[in-house]
Amino acid sequence: MTLDLAFMYQILPDMLAAFWLTIKISLITVIASVIIGIVLTAFRMMGGRISRYLIIAFVEFTRGAPPLVHISIIYFLFPEFGIVFNEFWTGVVALSLIGAGYSVEIFRGAIDSIGASQVDASRAIGLSRIQTFRLVLIPQALRLSLPPLTNELANVIKASSLLSVISVNELTKVANDLIFVHFVVIEVLIELTCLYLLIVGFLMFLSKYMEAKFKY
Amino acid sequence: MPRLLPGLMLTIELSLLGFFIATVIGVPFGILRAYKIPFLVSIIIDFYVFVVRGTPILVQIYAAYFLLPVFGLKISPFWIGIVVLSFNSAGYQIEIARAAILSMDDGQYEGAFALGLGKFHTLFFVILPQAVLRMLPPMANEMSNLIKASSVLSVITVFELHKAANAIISDSFKFLEMLFAQAVLYVAFVVAMTQLSIYLEKRIGISLQVKNLSQR
Repeated sequence: MTLDLAFMYQILPDMLAAFWLTIKISLITVIASVIIGIVLTAFRMMGGRISRYLIIAFVEFTRGAPPLVHISIIYFLFPEFGIVFNEFWTGVVALSLIGAGYSVEIFRGAIDSIGASQVDASRAIGLSRIQTFRLVLIPQALRLSLPPLTNELANVIKASSLLSVISVNELTKVANDLIFVHFVVIEVLIELTCLYLLIVGFLMFLSKYMEAKFKY
Repeated sequence: MPRLLPGLMLTIELSLLGFFIATVIGVPFGILRAYKIPFLVSIIIDFYVFVVRGTPILVQIYAAYFLLPVFGLKISPFWIGIVVLSFNSAGYQIEIARAAILSMDDGQYEGAFALGLGKFHTLFFVILPQAVLRMLPPMANEMSNLIKASSVLSVITVFELHKAANAIISDSFKFLEMLFAQAVLYVAFVVAMTQLSIYLEKRIGISLQVKNLSQR
C-alpha cells in the first residue's frame, strides 16, 4: 500500500486554506461561547425566575439536541422569521450557541464549587450582586472551569466539521470534495486526520499551559 | 409525526447497538490500560483513543464509508454507522473504564492481597464490581452522546431520525414542525439519560466526577 506523496503535496494548499477557515470559525466560536456563557450565567444567577427558566430551557435544548439539528434550525428556520445569515455565520452562530449552552453548565458547576461562603462574605462587605459576580466569582470560576471548558471547546471545534453539510468550505467539506474529484481517499484522509489532531492537540497543550499558569 | 417513528426506532437501534459493542471493545482495554502493561501496548491504546477522540465523527464516518469497502467489509450504511459509532464510543469508554479503575482505593488491593487473593481474583471479585458501579453515570452520559452522534449518520443515507425528518421536510417543506419534533425527541432522550445518570450517581454514592459533558 503505497501513498501518493506527490498528490498529498499537491492538495496541501487547498487543505491549508480550509484549515485556516476552520480555525477562524473555531476562534470566533470559542470567544463567542465564553462571552455568551458568562452573560447567561450572570442572568441565570441574578435574574428573576423567568430568565432563569428561560436560560435553563436554552441550556437543556442546546445540550440535548444534536448539533445537526441546531445547524438546520438556524439555516432553515431563522430565514422564515427574517433572520438571514450566510452559511459561514449560520455555522458560527449555531456553534456559538451550542458552546454557550455547555459553557453555562460548566460555569455553573465552577461557581457552585466556589461556595456560598464567599458570596456571603462579599455581600457582607457591601459589594452588590453584580460586583460580587464580576470581582469575586468570575475570576475563580474561570480558573476552575478551564479543564472541562477546553474539553468542551475541543468538542465544539470538532462539531465545526458538521458545517460541511451546509456547504461551508471548511476542512471536512474540502477534503470530501477532493475525495470525490480525484478518487483518492487515503491520502486525503490522512492529511485531514492530522490537521484535526493538530487543532485538538494544540488545544490540549494550551489548556495544560493555562492551567499551570493560573495555579497559585 | 408518526412517519418519524421508523427513524426514531433506527436511531435507538443504532445507539444501543453501538453502545454495547463499544462497551465490549472499550471496557476491557480500559481496564487493561489502568494496569502495568508493555509500553508498546499502552502507546497503541493511547494513540487509538487520541485519534478517535481528536477527530470529528463526520471524518470518522467518511473514513469508514470510503475505506471499508476496500477491505471487503459490509457496505450497508447501517453497518458502517454501527462500526463508526462503536469504535468512536469505545475510545471514550476506554477512558471511562480507565478512570474508574484508577479511582479505586489502594486499600482495596492491600486488603485483597492480605486475604491471599491472587491478581486475577482481586480484579474480578473486588475491583471490578466497584469500578463498574462507578462507571455507570458517565456511561449514561456516553449513551446520550451516542444518540446525538447517530444524527450525523444521516449524511451517509442512514434513515435515522434526523434523515427521516429531513426527508419529510423535502417533501412538504414543513420546516418548523419537523425540526421542532426532532428536537423534542432528541432532547427527551438526552434528558432521560441525564436523569438516569443523576439517579445512578445518587444510588451509588461515588461518581467519577469526570465532568465529561462531551458532545460530538
